[in-house]
Amino acid sequence: MDDYQTEEETAFIVEEVSKIIKESVEAAIGGNAYQHSRVNQWSTSVVEQCLSQLSKLGKPFKYIVTCIIMQKNGAGLQTASTCFWDNSTDGSCAVRWENKSMYCIVSVFGLAI
Amino acid sequence: MEEFHNGNEGSFNQEEVDNSIKECIESVVGGDDYSQSLVNKWTAGIVERCLTQLVKQGKPYKYIVTCAVMQKTGAGLHTANSCYWDTTMDGSCTVRWENRTMYCVVSVFAVAIA
Repeated sequence: MDDYQTEEETAFIVEEVSKIIKESVEAAIGGNAYQHSRVNQWSTSVVEQCLSQLSKLGKPFKYIVTCIIMQKNGAGLQTASTCFWDNSTDGSCAVRWENKSMYCIVSVFGLAI
Repeated sequence: MEEFHNGNEGSFNQEEVDNSIKECIESVVGGDDYSQSLVNKWTAGIVERCLTQLVKQGKPYKYIVTCAVMQKTGAGLHTANSCYWDTTMDGSCTVRWENRTMYCVVSVFAVAIA
């Protein structure tokens, strides 16, 4: 029982991270329309908010957060990622969010220390 | 002097990785026009190639490679990264490439293994 608890505290939990990402995106850009002059500030704010929430979890992980914001105008966008790490301890989570004028794709990678 | 040299061997060489990424992109999509049916294969091909090149260097690192390919239609695209790691040992490199019909943004993150 004790061992199980410890594992939970030090594992990369996708659901938990996914929730953090969704909240950060909503807080930073929810309800806004794409604006070229503000998108720089928005993407920075999304990654910073995600990162600070993640570090608050207090788990022994290094994190990498990436955010892509794209204006909706019919263009095709494809993203891919590949990782060379320890499958048993590391993990990733990607969330796709959209509103009427833009798409936002956030990926979080967690690497165990 | 010697200690400094040893430190460098285990660290992230940004220029080398930058060149390596450019070569990988060129070899997969250089000269092609954006094609919806092929883009999936391209992004997978680019990340795999980059990763293989990086691992060949044999350094004590874990790697994450991401690639975004976007069709040129005038849409705005903005990307941002933030990392919570050891700033003395870990590093990243982002390369922006384009041709007549598409943009390609590749990022490599290298995290030192303790």
